[in-house]
Amino acid sequence: MKSKNMLLKLLSLMIVFGVLITACGAPATATEAPAPAKTDEPAATEAPAATEAPAFGPGTTITYIASQDWVRDAEQELAKKFETETGVHVDFQIIPSDQYFNVLETKLEAGGEGIDIFGGQSGKTDIKLQLNVEKNAVPLTDQEWVKRMNPLSVEQISLDGITYGLTIWDTIGGSWVIVYNKKAFADNGISVPKTYAEFATACQTLQDAGVTPIYEPFADGWHHVLWFLEMGPVYEAANPGLADALNANKATFAGNPTMLTALNQLKEMYDKGYFGTDALSNEFANTEASMAEGKYAMTVNNFGLPSQIHKAYPDVPEDNFGFFVIPLADNQIWNVNPAAPSKFIYSGSKNIEAAKAYFEFLTRPENLQFMLDNEARFAMLNFEGVKAELTTDQQAFIDTYKKQGTVYQTAVNYVNPQWMDVGQVLTAMFTGAVTPEDVLAETDQRRTDMAISAGDEAWK
Amino acid sequence: MIESVVGLKDLFRPTTGMLYFVFHDGKLKMKNKIYPFYFSVGAIILYSLFMVIPGLLGFYLSFTDWNRYSSEINFIGFQNFALIFSKQNYWHSISNTIIFTVVTIVLKTVIALMLALLLSKGLKRFFNFHRVVIYLPAIIPMIVVGIVFRSILHPATGALNEFLRGVGLDLLAQQWLTNPNLALYSVIGVDTWKGIGYIMVIMIAGLQVIPAEYYEAAQLDGANQWDEFWQITLPLLMPTLTVTTMLNLLYGLKVFDVVWVLTNGGPGYATETVYTVVFKEFSKGRYGVSTALSSLLFVIMSICGYWLIKMMHSKELET
Repeated sequence: MKSKNMLLKLLSLMIVFGVLITACGAPATATEAPAPAKTDEPAATEAPAATEAPAFGPGTTITYIASQDWVRDAEQELAKKFETETGVHVDFQIIPSDQYFNVLETKLEAGGEGIDIFGGQSGKTDIKLQLNVEKNAVPLTDQEWVKRMNPLSVEQISLDGITYGLTIWDTIGGSWVIVYNKKAFADNGISVPKTYAEFATACQTLQDAGVTPIYEPFADGWHHVLWFLEMGPVYEAANPGLADALNANKATFAGNPTMLTALNQLKEMYDKGYFGTDALSNEFANTEASMAEGKYAMTVNNFGLPSQIHKAYPDVPEDNFGFFVIPLADNQIWNVNPAAPSKFIYSGSKNIEAAKAYFEFLTRPENLQFMLDNEARFAMLNFEGVKAELTTDQQAFIDTYKKQGTVYQTAVNYVNPQWMDVGQVLTAMFTGAVTPEDVLAETDQRRTDMAISAGDEAWK
Repeated sequence: MIESVVGLKDLFRPTTGMLYFVFHDGKLKMKNKIYPFYFSVGAIILYSLFMVIPGLLGFYLSFTDWNRYSSEINFIGFQNFALIFSKQNYWHSISNTIIFTVVTIVLKTVIALMLALLLSKGLKRFFNFHRVVIYLPAIIPMIVVGIVFRSILHPATGALNEFLRGVGLDLLAQQWLTNPNLALYSVIGVDTWKGIGYIMVIMIAGLQVIPAEYYEAAQLDGANQWDEFWQITLPLLMPTLTVTTMLNLLYGLKVFDVVWVLTNGGPGYATETVYTVVFKEFSKGRYGVSTALSSLLFVIMSICGYWLIKMMHSKELET
């Protein structure tokens, strides 16, 4: 009996100690982060109201965490102007793209760790499942700039009519297309391919001439996924209604003949060395240099790449590069993606007002124009009142590809959140560890896991 | 033989007895010899709160479907473990972890022992300088090591391949981090380079406590250096080797950072280890699976650690 008493007393002592520790920690937690969202309450009431956030002033620092390549030089210049105007410093924390989502999600799970603004890809399933914006982001529906943002962009960054983020991106000219070296094509008598067979022949001709056909930055882990998922319009054209069927859990990626064709062609290109012998070490940051040197004839990039190359290498003229769509599975449809890298204000931030002021500053018409004029990668911007000037080659592309389709990472649910996983399994496919059929089956499996976890009705 | 049954008054009564528990007639009894029990209460509470309870909670959570997308946590039995054992990728990460551990233990022990012998018995001048140089990689942050070696091992522009091509050894120039058959061994190489200094220092300390008289006596008996190594150095170094092997074993099974900074588990899944998978699963919000993997690794580590200590302790006793 006595030993039982002693154990009981010891246990009581431990519980009291535990309660004391929890109690000591509680007030800090309450002020630092809002309570987790309850699913049965409207999202707008879940995040802290703007009025609760402390005012900001000179000396305030807002921390902005984003993936490599999402924060452009022009934005960093604007951030300096913002600091001059308000005294608020923007601290950019740029994470390598192959690690970004792991780092971000771990930080968000750990209570934010000092984040004020975080970057994320827009798109309904992404912001709901991957970023959980209903819990993690401050609603911005009442901000004036939302009315000026392209409605397609607003739709991709909103849930149940509430806008959670800011997208400043070239969502039209930002389409991922093949940028090719016109001189290399002309020297080897190659014209713009319209089928995969023509494309493969062009690659072989270039390789025989000593030019590596395609610069593909595999090392970043995300870029090569474009070859597979940006082909959404051709998958849809071959099987109309496929995206809806996938979202309703009435179709699968596995066994889809068009997808298998695209993946087999991609593997064939890798095996034939069209991406070069050291392709798995290629980095996205070296794209301009690689294309400017003329060692490579093509790469998958945006309308803005020629301008970026010319800016970095003035000897290389901008009009040396043209555009055509990725012709896997004989695709001739322009792949458009209204979703893009976006910014969100973390709901647990102590500087919500300062972050809102930063967003307001960035979206002023003169600053948006500054962004477009000074960011070579952007040919257009997704905001009203910004004047864009297209080059002859950009206009030629628009005139050639009249038919447009939505990419599958946006059209199909539970695809974009697994982007890096698809990248990993595609690399495994290139190295021979898995087959194209495995790539499709694994994509289905991850979709199923996410859908079940999210309680999707179609998977019940 | 049996002391008094423990009560609260006994706990706080200053005594001079050392404390230990005995069972007699189905009752827990405590014997005092040196210090009162309450000296340890604070430590026990802290240890329980921050080590034992989270550990047990982790084991429990590995049997649940805990994930980011749902506020409910349901007990699902061995489903997470069944998933781990049924998916090739998880198996692959476990086998990579074991290969990494075994190879790094062997390489670090052998090379560090050779360097320790060289720098404590071989070199007569500048040995401290050499010790510092070899130890230096141990204090370089892993992220720096990652950046430097990604550059050195780049297949086209890296210093290693440039050197090999420069001296006419083009055939040896490899895709060190992107060839799936080679990448894990490149990671092992970098980790060994970084880790041998630390192991070497421990071994030098172990070598220095071996009395010189043993070697003198052996020399008088006509022993050569090889005999000295096998008959004196190695047996008397066994406690040190136990420590270093245990350190290497635990480090190897928990390896994460060197893989993360060099290959991020790639190309494909070629260099995934258990902890890189745990991190990725955790960041995907699949906490149940990720804690199940951690629990599994804990069991493997406990079995390996127990087996290793038992084996090496018996060798120590033999010597």
